[in-house]
Amino acid sequence: MAQTRRAFLVTSTAAAAAAAAPPWLWRSGVLERGGRREAPRITQSDLRALAARAVDVARSAGAAYADVRLTHTYGRSITPEGTHQAGLISDSEEMTVGVRALVNGYWGFAASPAWTADEMARLGHEAVDLAKVNAAGKPRVVDLAPAPGNETGHWETPLRIDPFSVPVDEVLDFLGAFRVYGGENYGGDLGIQIGCQFTRQEKAFASTAGAFVTQALTAIGVGFQIAWLKAPPGEDPKAVSDLLPLAGHGWEYVRDNEAGLRAEIPRLIAELEADWRLPSKPVDVGRYDMVLDAAGMAELVDATLGTATELDRALGYEANAGGTSYLDDPLAMLATLQVASPVVTLTGSRSTPGGLATVQWDDEGVRPDDFALVKDGVFTDYQTTREAAGWLREAYAKRGVAQRSHGCANAQSALFAPLIFPPNLQLEPGKQELALEDLLAGLDRGVYVRGLGLGLDFQQRSGWSREGLFYEVKGGKRVARLQHAGLLFRTAELWKALTALGGPASLRWTPAQRAKGEPAQWAAYSVGAVPARFKQQTVIDTWRKA
Amino acid sequence: MSGRTRSPQPAVPRWLSALFGAPDKKFLSQADCEALVAQAERFAQGAGETPCKVTSWWSGEVRWARNRVSLASDRRNDELRIGRRIQGAEGGVRTNQIDAVSLEGAVRAAERLAYYGRTNPDEHREPPPRFEYLTPAIWSDQTFAQPAGERARAAQAIIAPAEQAGMVSFGYLAVQAAGHAVIDPAVGRPLYAPYTAAQCSMTVRDPEGTGSGWAGTSSYDWTRIDPAALARRALEKCLASRHPVTIEPGRYTVILEPQAVHGLVRRVVDAFYGRYDAERGPNPFHLRPLYSKLGLQVADTRVTIVQDPLDPDLGVLPFTDDGQPVRPATWIDHGMVTHLAYWRDYALEWLHDNDPIVDRWGYRMAGGSATVEDMIRSTQRGLLVTRFSNLDTLDPESLLMTGVTRDGLWLIEHGTISKAVKNLRFTESPLFVLNSIDLLGPPERVFSPDAPAIVPPVKAHDFSFTSTIDAI
Repeated sequence: MAQTRRAFLVTSTAAAAAAAAPPWLWRSGVLERGGRREAPRITQSDLRALAARAVDVARSAGAAYADVRLTHTYGRSITPEGTHQAGLISDSEEMTVGVRALVNGYWGFAASPAWTADEMARLGHEAVDLAKVNAAGKPRVVDLAPAPGNETGHWETPLRIDPFSVPVDEVLDFLGAFRVYGGENYGGDLGIQIGCQFTRQEKAFASTAGAFVTQALTAIGVGFQIAWLKAPPGEDPKAVSDLLPLAGHGWEYVRDNEAGLRAEIPRLIAELEADWRLPSKPVDVGRYDMVLDAAGMAELVDATLGTATELDRALGYEANAGGTSYLDDPLAMLATLQVASPVVTLTGSRSTPGGLATVQWDDEGVRPDDFALVKDGVFTDYQTTREAAGWLREAYAKRGVAQRSHGCANAQSALFAPLIFPPNLQLEPGKQELALEDLLAGLDRGVYVRGLGLGLDFQQRSGWSREGLFYEVKGGKRVARLQHAGLLFRTAELWKALTALGGPASLRWTPAQRAKGEPAQWAAYSVGAVPARFKQQTVIDTWRKA
Repeated sequence: MSGRTRSPQPAVPRWLSALFGAPDKKFLSQADCEALVAQAERFAQGAGETPCKVTSWWSGEVRWARNRVSLASDRRNDELRIGRRIQGAEGGVRTNQIDAVSLEGAVRAAERLAYYGRTNPDEHREPPPRFEYLTPAIWSDQTFAQPAGERARAAQAIIAPAEQAGMVSFGYLAVQAAGHAVIDPAVGRPLYAPYTAAQCSMTVRDPEGTGSGWAGTSSYDWTRIDPAALARRALEKCLASRHPVTIEPGRYTVILEPQAVHGLVRRVVDAFYGRYDAERGPNPFHLRPLYSKLGLQVADTRVTIVQDPLDPDLGVLPFTDDGQPVRPATWIDHGMVTHLAYWRDYALEWLHDNDPIVDRWGYRMAGGSATVEDMIRSTQRGLLVTRFSNLDTLDPESLLMTGVTRDGLWLIEHGTISKAVKNLRFTESPLFVLNSIDLLGPPERVFSPDAPAIVPPVKAHDFSFTSTIDAI
């Protein structure tokens, strides 16, 4: 690749900055992978012995099954201040190890920050002791779904440029130059906030079944907001870009999208100005046909079906935390319950390129498969782990389906025991190549919603909008903004009222994260969705009291 | 003695084996933290300061579902923030590794990040006043020393009555012990506080999914938690909540149990956080540009909300993350806003004072003498609410919220509970509730693991329920 002016600028600025650095500045990065001490690469051969120590001790202490996870998590965010080499930068690093042991159907789990042989042994013992203490009570059965068990290997998020290897100066230069560009082309009317976030989790997994797998999962995203100060009084001058959401890529994802980022500025300005041209009026509460954009559909998928199909939730394991699920009877519901319009198919996958939940192995060493949660509107499967797949033995046997984990075991870090967290979720696009504009064109009298944020009850049976811009649509055109308008729905009815989906070209991926469990932990995944049209939905005034 | 015996353990690199001290140590002591920071300071190159924060914690937990323990855990971590402050510019990194090599790496990284911060060689820093720090009751030896077996037995004792009654119990109990240190030259002296925490909560459901009851509490001291009483309460609520009937949404007189009141008032307490924010809005205590509602009546005269770290039920850490002292404050006094929190920066800039009033979110709301039974007897038609869930703020100015009732909602007719009713969604502002009070009961400690809260039951009128909810 020919050296661009940008690349030249980057190298020369970085060199200049380094040359001007005061003597106390240490130039090679520490929490930056390149310069880090004897960097504890997750692929380092000693780690296998370290991990083996934990599971060996647990096995000798009486565990029927045990596994250990080691995670090394890095985070970096960079936000330029002004247009020069100054910025707010935060760096973080966390190393943790967690051992899980199964004794007579009871799980014990012990975790700490110390990656030492002694600590592996202590954690192995502790996990078994905790399991035994609880196993003294009534019997409990754990039926772990079969897994190959002895997988070995290493996998990394495919990327060309490791973001943590990119000098801070280069990132600041890229982001700062972008602000200069904005200032030069749009003058004082434009305020730009832009920041970049990198995360990496390296992890190792070993089990008493002989597995030892390591992975390095990297994600990067750009937060980008403009303020267009030509706003008329009373109008919100801010617009947020969703061009480069957090996703599993390298620095090239940002660097190669400079032109795209620049093009976002006029697009966002046009979006704001189009809004201001529309009159704003009180909402006329009632039933309307409705179009949601792709991001709104991602929110809907995530908050309803994506949550309700977590099997632990469905069987009550989250009853004392986030709640349960309306899809709570696997035997009666699987493969029979119509949960959505026949045009709806929802799949789970941990192999989606760029997906935040994309891995080669889950946190139990299982290779996840791609599976349908909803097929042609019929509820077909749950998100599962090895233990959870065992809870479906009867339901699977009834349908002649092999009992297997879909590989949804995930945890924030090794400091937490794995739970079921969503894989990347994808709402399959419609067969016809319809764009958002086409869906709107078919709307004679209705509402269009963007920026939708939803609240759901603790079984996802009903929901309401927390936020969102609602537009009145007449003859396929947006004609007004509706003040304080909101959506109120019953989940089952809403999904069945879906009449049309956007086509493959309208698919957008949105980052999502779920918090669950006690203690609470979170995990990230991506949701792919297309815009959609619904018939006769209830539009309310969210601020109106009874 | 020639030659050493070969270690039976796998060989590990130096950076791996040098990490920890005693393996059974639950968290870092004051001496540990000070030594750690002293070491970091030695690694610092050039001038400037090395402000550090340490939170080192241990947690013992039991979680259960479907009447069986699903996970028992023992976890610990050391969370360090190591900073370098050089000519007014500050850089900081977070790490959980405390070996010398990692510490040096973290100091170097902080120095590198400080380089990107804005420097101000002429910066003049006001010396910190000689802050007095309180010593609240936030430590319990029994909680710290609680063996895993005690948690297992507690869980079994909680599950048993539900199982005997043919119901299903789900829950979580946890104890925690931690040390929090702020060692920052800008504060004047190193601060360290050890503390414990305990929580216990459970949901009992009937196997058909037609009823659900909840009970829970939290305290710094496990011995102040009565798991058997909580188990009874959750079971009673579950049994009494079965087969609910649908009622129309609308305005109701409500009897809010303390946990339900906490769900609403917590949002008001969050808004005490900033006098600066209140002067600029949007904020419920914003009056007009640059003016807050300090000195104005915003609630019923029976409403008083205070923080007092020395309140034996309300202990909070006596200092903030940047070393500012936490002291008693009366946020709302007989309905009038008397204080809104501000930090030292605000005090210096706007009040020409050196002394902050900070909000640690622990609060006590004054009550009255009416019991929940009194409230029920005095109600012609109303609803008894156990707690709220899935809360969202719709309007930061009026604090208008929406959310749903959960784990027990009953209709009261002619002074008695007449039937269990299906959950409802509400659209209401907590400030409206604090202006619509009929009766207040004696305050009690509620489930609030993040910050302690002592809250009374409240009977209020005209509470707005806006839709029915099928979730149970």
